[in-house]
Amino acid sequence: MSLYHSNQSKDNCGFGLIAHLDGQQSHQLLQTSLTALTRMTHRGAISSDGKTGDGCGLLIQLPSKFFRAITVELGFNLGSRFGVGQIFLSRDPVKAKKAKQILEQELIKETLTIVGWRDVPVDTSVCGEIALQTQPKIEQIFVNASPGWTKEDLERRLFIARRRAADRIVNDEDYYVCSLSGMVIVYKALVMPKYLDSFYQDLANPKLETSISLFHQRFSTNTAPLWKFAQPFRFLAHNGEINTISGNRNWATARQSTFYSPLLPDLGNLKHLVNQSGSDSSSLDNMLEVMLAGGMDIFRALRLLVPPAWAKRKNMDPDLRAFYEFNSMHMEPWDGPAGIVMTNGTQIACTLDRNGLRPARYVITKDRLLTVASEVGVWDYKESDVVEKDRVGPGEMLAADVSSGRIWRTNKIDDQLKHRHPYLEWLRENTIRLRSNSRLEKKATEDYINVNLKNLPVFEKLFNVSLEECEQVIRVIANDSQEPTSSMGDDTPMAVLSTQQRNLYDYFRQQFAQVTNPPIDPLREASVMSLETCFGREHNVFQETNGLAYRAIIGKPVLNYAKLKQLKELDQEYYQFQSISLNYNKTEGLETALVRITDKAVELVNNGCVILQLSDRDIAQDMLPIHAALATGAVHQRLIKEGLRCATNIVIETATARDPHHFAVLIGVGATAISPYLSLQIINRLSTEGKLTTDIISARRNYLKGINKGLLKILSKMGISTIASYRSAQLFEAVGLDQSIIDRCFPSVLSRIGGATFEDLHQENLKNANLAWQPLAKIKRSGQLKYVHGGEYHAYNPDVVSLLQIAVNSGNYSDYQRYANAVNQRPFATLRDLMKPINAATPLKLDSVEPTQTILKRFDSAGMSIGALSPEAHEALAIAMNTIGGRSNSGEGGEDPKRFASIKNSKIKQIASGRFGVDAAYLQSAEVLQIKIAQGAKPGEGGQLPGAKVTVEIAKLRNATPGVTLISPPPHHDIYSIEDIAQLIFDLKQVNSKALISVKLVSGPGVGTIAAGVAKAYADMITIAGHDGGTGASPLTSVKYAGTPWEIGLAEAHQALIENGLRDKICLQVDGGLKTGLDVIKGAILGADSFGFGTGPMVALGCKFLRICHLNNCATGVATQNKTLRNNHFVGLPQKVINYFEFVAQDVREWLALLAVESLDKLIGRTDLLEIIEGTTSQQKNLKLEVILDSARRPATGAKHYLGVRNNPFDHGELNQKLLADYKLNESSATSSQLNYSIKNFDRSVGASLAGYIATRQNKLDDHTTVDIDFHGIAGQSFGVWNCTGIHLNLTGDANDYVGKGMSGGQIAIRPPKNIQYVASRGAIVGNTCLYGATGGKLFAAGQAGERFGVRNSGAISVVEGVGDHGCEYMTGGAILILGPVGENFAAGMTGGIAFVLDQRDTLIKNVNPEHVECFRFSDNECDEYTEQLFEMLEQHVAATGSDWATRIIKNFDNYLDYFMLVIPKASCQSDDDTDSDSDYLELTAVEQPKSSLVPLRIVK
Amino acid sequence: MKLDQISKHQTKLPSDPLNFLQLKRETPDKRASEARRIDFKEIYQTDLGYQSANQAARCLDCGNPYCEWKCPLHNYIPNWLDYVANEKYQQAAELMYETNPLPEICGRVCPQDRLCEQACTLNTGFGAVTIGAIEKNITDRAIANKWRPTVPELTKNAKKVAIIGAGPAGLACADQLARHGVKAVVFDKYPEIGGLLTFGIPGFKLEKDVIRKRRVFLQDIGVEFRLNTDVGKDIKFEQIRQEFDDVFLAMGTYTSVIADLPGMNSKGVYKALDYLVGNINQLEKFNMTEFPEINLKGKKVVVLGGGDTAMDCVRTAIRQNAKKVTCVYRRDEHSMPGSKTEVNNAKEEGVEFKFCLTPASIEQQSDSDLIQSVVFSKMQEQTDQETGVKSFLVSEQQSIIECDAVIVAFGFKASPQEWFTTAGIELNSHGLVKNSDGKSSEDGGSLRTSAENIYAGGDMVRGADLVVTAVAEGVKAAQEIVAKYTSC
Repeated sequence: MSLYHSNQSKDNCGFGLIAHLDGQQSHQLLQTSLTALTRMTHRGAISSDGKTGDGCGLLIQLPSKFFRAITVELGFNLGSRFGVGQIFLSRDPVKAKKAKQILEQELIKETLTIVGWRDVPVDTSVCGEIALQTQPKIEQIFVNASPGWTKEDLERRLFIARRRAADRIVNDEDYYVCSLSGMVIVYKALVMPKYLDSFYQDLANPKLETSISLFHQRFSTNTAPLWKFAQPFRFLAHNGEINTISGNRNWATARQSTFYSPLLPDLGNLKHLVNQSGSDSSSLDNMLEVMLAGGMDIFRALRLLVPPAWAKRKNMDPDLRAFYEFNSMHMEPWDGPAGIVMTNGTQIACTLDRNGLRPARYVITKDRLLTVASEVGVWDYKESDVVEKDRVGPGEMLAADVSSGRIWRTNKIDDQLKHRHPYLEWLRENTIRLRSNSRLEKKATEDYINVNLKNLPVFEKLFNVSLEECEQVIRVIANDSQEPTSSMGDDTPMAVLSTQQRNLYDYFRQQFAQVTNPPIDPLREASVMSLETCFGREHNVFQETNGLAYRAIIGKPVLNYAKLKQLKELDQEYYQFQSISLNYNKTEGLETALVRITDKAVELVNNGCVILQLSDRDIAQDMLPIHAALATGAVHQRLIKEGLRCATNIVIETATARDPHHFAVLIGVGATAISPYLSLQIINRLSTEGKLTTDIISARRNYLKGINKGLLKILSKMGISTIASYRSAQLFEAVGLDQSIIDRCFPSVLSRIGGATFEDLHQENLKNANLAWQPLAKIKRSGQLKYVHGGEYHAYNPDVVSLLQIAVNSGNYSDYQRYANAVNQRPFATLRDLMKPINAATPLKLDSVEPTQTILKRFDSAGMSIGALSPEAHEALAIAMNTIGGRSNSGEGGEDPKRFASIKNSKIKQIASGRFGVDAAYLQSAEVLQIKIAQGAKPGEGGQLPGAKVTVEIAKLRNATPGVTLISPPPHHDIYSIEDIAQLIFDLKQVNSKALISVKLVSGPGVGTIAAGVAKAYADMITIAGHDGGTGASPLTSVKYAGTPWEIGLAEAHQALIENGLRDKICLQVDGGLKTGLDVIKGAILGADSFGFGTGPMVALGCKFLRICHLNNCATGVATQNKTLRNNHFVGLPQKVINYFEFVAQDVREWLALLAVESLDKLIGRTDLLEIIEGTTSQQKNLKLEVILDSARRPATGAKHYLGVRNNPFDHGELNQKLLADYKLNESSATSSQLNYSIKNFDRSVGASLAGYIATRQNKLDDHTTVDIDFHGIAGQSFGVWNCTGIHLNLTGDANDYVGKGMSGGQIAIRPPKNIQYVASRGAIVGNTCLYGATGGKLFAAGQAGERFGVRNSGAISVVEGVGDHGCEYMTGGAILILGPVGENFAAGMTGGIAFVLDQRDTLIKNVNPEHVECFRFSDNECDEYTEQLFEMLEQHVAATGSDWATRIIKNFDNYLDYFMLVIPKASCQSDDDTDSDSDYLELTAVEQPKSSLVPLRIVK
Repeated sequence: MKLDQISKHQTKLPSDPLNFLQLKRETPDKRASEARRIDFKEIYQTDLGYQSANQAARCLDCGNPYCEWKCPLHNYIPNWLDYVANEKYQQAAELMYETNPLPEICGRVCPQDRLCEQACTLNTGFGAVTIGAIEKNITDRAIANKWRPTVPELTKNAKKVAIIGAGPAGLACADQLARHGVKAVVFDKYPEIGGLLTFGIPGFKLEKDVIRKRRVFLQDIGVEFRLNTDVGKDIKFEQIRQEFDDVFLAMGTYTSVIADLPGMNSKGVYKALDYLVGNINQLEKFNMTEFPEINLKGKKVVVLGGGDTAMDCVRTAIRQNAKKVTCVYRRDEHSMPGSKTEVNNAKEEGVEFKFCLTPASIEQQSDSDLIQSVVFSKMQEQTDQETGVKSFLVSEQQSIIECDAVIVAFGFKASPQEWFTTAGIELNSHGLVKNSDGKSSEDGGSLRTSAENIYAGGDMVRGADLVVTAVAEGVKAAQEIVAKYTSC
């Protein structure tokens, strides 16, 4: 048993296709695609042997002529219509023979004729060692179709034969059919792209011709990739990650019984429609092939699987909306970052998911070649041959048919789809929308208060509601429709360790997006999200008819009284309603009761029940409730198994659902909708007690609104946009549930350490019931949120805090020991508390143990920004850490450059999603650059620093304007996948070659996989943070329910790095609740080289764990910007922190001596020195922690811990280095230098090294002494990244993603070459996410930009000729001029700066996100004062790029001026400059501001 | 009820989080020392005009409620401060009463400056929240408005518990039992309930009317008192055991600690308790002949000791119009065990303090057994270099204070009864009652004694301690007894 499994690997990549639009086949095209593939090598990964890639491949038209020719020699007689299978076979001849036999049998069953097998000629000399170890035997099978078959007939029969064979061939891991088709063939291998045609000699054969070639280069998160995981699959290649995969797989199983196509009569007999393990992309491919084989066309299939955002797009054509809505009733979106290219041999298509998180650029050249790829410039076409170039945007689709030469773009495809059937009419006739009804709601509330309120305490006690939950959760949501905010993190035991009664939901930890996929911003990007939920029986997706639209729809899955009532009263012919009680007799036993209700559910659904309610409302003495989550999971799973799930909808009427997480669990395990009756009743009570700020009906509404918002947030953490895709996806890890529960109720939920059994839950139930029916027993104070005497244990309880402060103040080790004893002898609060060190029979003498100094070097302070901390506390920490030889961490708020060269410098500089203060000088000042992917207290979420807290001081550090709200987006907008982080790491290593690159991850399932992936992306250090990390402000449910204990994540990451042979290069750090030397010892044994401390040193500085950080009123002056508090009440001296760390180090030494181990290095992985001790409660006793120890065990061979080996990228950034060297040569001779280079797409991060060099030079450049560098060609990613003052980059050609990212000064100008045939201003010239986090400088681009242009820009000035979706998001400063169209959701969260848009088609208003900004027309005089600035920017643009379009505008400026719009933040977003007053009331949570309609004619100050 | 009757905006929006900076700590006004040193009325304003709501709003509502942690009763202080800040006084009072059966008494006599207010986060330069004053203010409102919690009706089968001792532990236990439907009968040898609350603590700290009101309240909720009943003398313990399901002993410690000094037998040397009880007996007209009044009017009084009892003595002496009152403590001022507030009050009222003096002998007048002076040895402070711990050692130097009365306030020790042995109640070497599981109640130990169905708590188990710790043990004993009844 171990935690890490290499089969959980994730992959991302570079992808693309090249096609001749008129279907002209050539070998040249194939060669070009191989070049293109090779040019994207940097998007894949290369193993340590330097040869094995993670896999690459081609999907091409079946080259009939070629096969006919070469099979002649083999004596094959190919019929007029034949298919070829490219098959991976086991190298074990017996297995291979068996597999071949079965495949043949199935093919024969489909009346196909087997012609013969061909050994595919391969050259294994190009394979790396790792690839050779797993290389399968590769053969091709040739089969003839019966005469008269169409090609579709052949495909369908091949499909069924292949699927059935796969079901029969078991215990053969190697058997894999790359392709089996009469239309296409796949060649893929575990080699570097440049060797693909050496490996497959077929590919080098000039006779092999195709007019379509689809290619893919894989980046896998492990170093032992398998051949079969390489892409393309049989129809598609996918870049990204399907976040919803487990839900999609579940639903595919559930729907199998409803799928019927006369073309595929045998569909029901297949074991699975889509594979249940393996990569997400392959499952998507499976689904697509079922649809295509079933007779669906490419357009509908792709639009059904990966629809654009439609639910909230008010400006969408109603017919088109109806098409999507109708289809959404049959299939949930396969959601996630997805760039897909696909072909069936004649048609090709490329589509992006609704968020457009993967890049896809296309070019059409004069010779009718269409190239689509992750990057532009992947082969050297002549720029003068280009007739069109652009990008595929979010939710867009580009398709072509090489048999007819037609091209379809999104609009055309949508037009075609929406007119196929009268969808809108169908919907109007048959769908019912359920709505709230406040009259009904009021009546019900009154009745309840008058009749039943007196029974409420019984419910509260039976369902384990605590007073805190009523007061601090339900009440807050009811008042504010907003989750409560908390700070300092969760220091209570996990549910399974607690000795208190805990709710079952507490065992579930939400999964969150981390590196391989990005979270979404549910507030600023709400337009892509939807909670819409349907009721009614699902029908056959292949059949589009009127009756299929019989649906009742609710906007959100949380039901109020009125909606539930309406649901019950729907027409029983179509919506038969039945209810099952969840209450069981004490004597029956929980598991038996569960089985009983699942049987009952099957019976009811078989008898026509369409709305199945599970209710725990009819409580009675002697009866116990089955927890709603158990019931939902068990019933859902059972109905799937019986093929009945899609015939019914599960509505949960439960007392257990109270905070957003509870609802998320219920929906995640299969609920359709939920009625939280007890919460509403508690709101009724709170209202009668006068505890609400609003009236009762509003409060009930607020509560539901707050829950829905919370749900969106939880979905968005996983990067999921719709509730339909989240439902049943089971995106949780259970910490502390026994496998018997998992198997019966939540089979896709990972539970790795055992824990509570059905019997344990039954016993807890009994205890609750015992209290519930005692009238005098009070509703309890659980102490879950804050310490309460007699309540839940808190690791930083008043005793611990006080003892630590006594120790650091006195400096006495004996005082520290009292503190350490209080910590080490606490009740079991963490998993490590159940692991006891085994002291050696003969301990070492203390002086033979490594000295304190070397131990102190391993200690870092955790990332805490100035802003979260007061400057005094921040500096005190830095001084202390630098004094002891450890490292302090700047956090994500920038740092005063004055500190860089002093003892106050934070040696770790953090790079977080907001990129505040991140520029070349900042990056140069660090020893470690930490990319903060996630934070333990709120992984997958962003943050917001309200304008009032942005003081002059803070604003300066963060390059912001005082008083302007600063938003940290949930994702890094340059990390949507693993190859993206590789790029960011590359950027950082180019700008500061000395620094170690660290990646901070949060413990969660699969963190080992991510760690290995990050290591392959050339990180040097990985921090694994536990769920218990601190925070300045987080929503409460994030603090409580996300992330897992570091013991699991650390051991998993350690194991993953060892198994992948990467351990020597990665310094593994653990972070989360470390308090004493014993914690360090245990951390080291479980795999840590280094240790991060957050709260400990804060407490040493005087923090008393007040949990009021988010209010800016910290009385200890540690976490506040208030001057009085900082000046008069902060008592934190660096010495106190030094004392603390020296105590801990001394403590570590004493433990080392007791264990008889000389040093921490020798302790890493010594799991033999820990014994598992038995817990005190039944749940604790049922834990199986051995798996943690087994995983972390020291390996017999290979590196056992970090050896300080540098993890250098294979790409040396040659152009960058040349640039720097050339500059240095010229440096002394002249003040201004002129350099000239040609550039290609694999030249990445160009300019970074020079920027890093110049930013730290004493005599800085200024705008008068510049270095001008000219480039021509196509720039790779991150062109001009971190550019700084004095550097002017001029590019003639195109650039890819991330142009000018983090730029702080200087200028970048990009222009098309002369003599082009296309209109430059109409196509993309730069890629996505340009100017992300820029703080200054200028960018001029004579063409359009991709998605997310200017995100988090806080000072750069730029002119472009059009932008994609989400432009200027989170912008806080600078000026952007856009001379063309803007995409959706423009200026979302834009709290500062200005944007000018040339809005000739009057579309801006529809596309702008009005939450923070207002728009004004230049046709009104009020904008006059901006005219000059606008004109000046235009002139500069022309000067820099020679833009034709801008020149034309200047010539007719007065005419164009009327079409210009000004977009600026609302006045309300900017508070007074004097924000440093002492009485600011601050709230850090993201508050949704009331939406105001735009008033374009208002006067601008 | 109609929804519209439930008023719409009942809760104030969150107050300014920097309240604690802007609004200074303010305690209720004290009467001027000239006015108060001539009577035995409480020294703090007793009207209800105190700005409780404003002061309560200073609370930070810390993640670690240090006040609640430090309070032996673990009162839900931040929670009721929140109610008070929102002017929901009745709910605040209910919550105070939930953990503390005698809140108006604790509000008056608790040394908050050593407990909740000392632990208060704001006690680091901002001024602690005035927890004690607010508690007193709110509970006085509760009493004035006759806010009563609802108490279950006693059933026929209700269990019966005898409580011996009507001091804080006994009253606390009785209250909690009554509120859980158990019949509580309290026995006490004195004519009024309260034990030391009534007879030991002078009226300037706790007016006796407060106790009388509490007595009415307790009787109202069904507690029965059998006063003037000395168990062992007036009624056999065996008889009580037969009549009741369980017994809770809360008899306190009454035996004074006496230093073995030369001259201790001089006339004019008094035990603190005799002095205090005698005074109250006289003032409140209890007519207890065994406690005659000791009037020190015009005397030069030396009080030995530095605890709260010593403070009660010096301030009583002032009010008796003693000529000069000196309090002598053997360590420095910082080390005094009593409440700092009380020391200050005493100073204001004219008490003189001497520190680092330990009594060596009491000198008699040459011609009588009356006192002439007390001879003290000076104490020297020493600090351990390694641990930083301070200690005081007796030096050769001496100091003499002339006086004609000496009150010894060195504390109290156990007063075990003869019938303990026959009842099977085991004692430790100090004569204190042993818990059955040997753990103290703070560490979750049981309050059951070695004898079946007999529980004990308060000073007689822990040794002389604060009122609030006695209350805490009374509450815990009741909880333990109630839990026993409900689980069977």
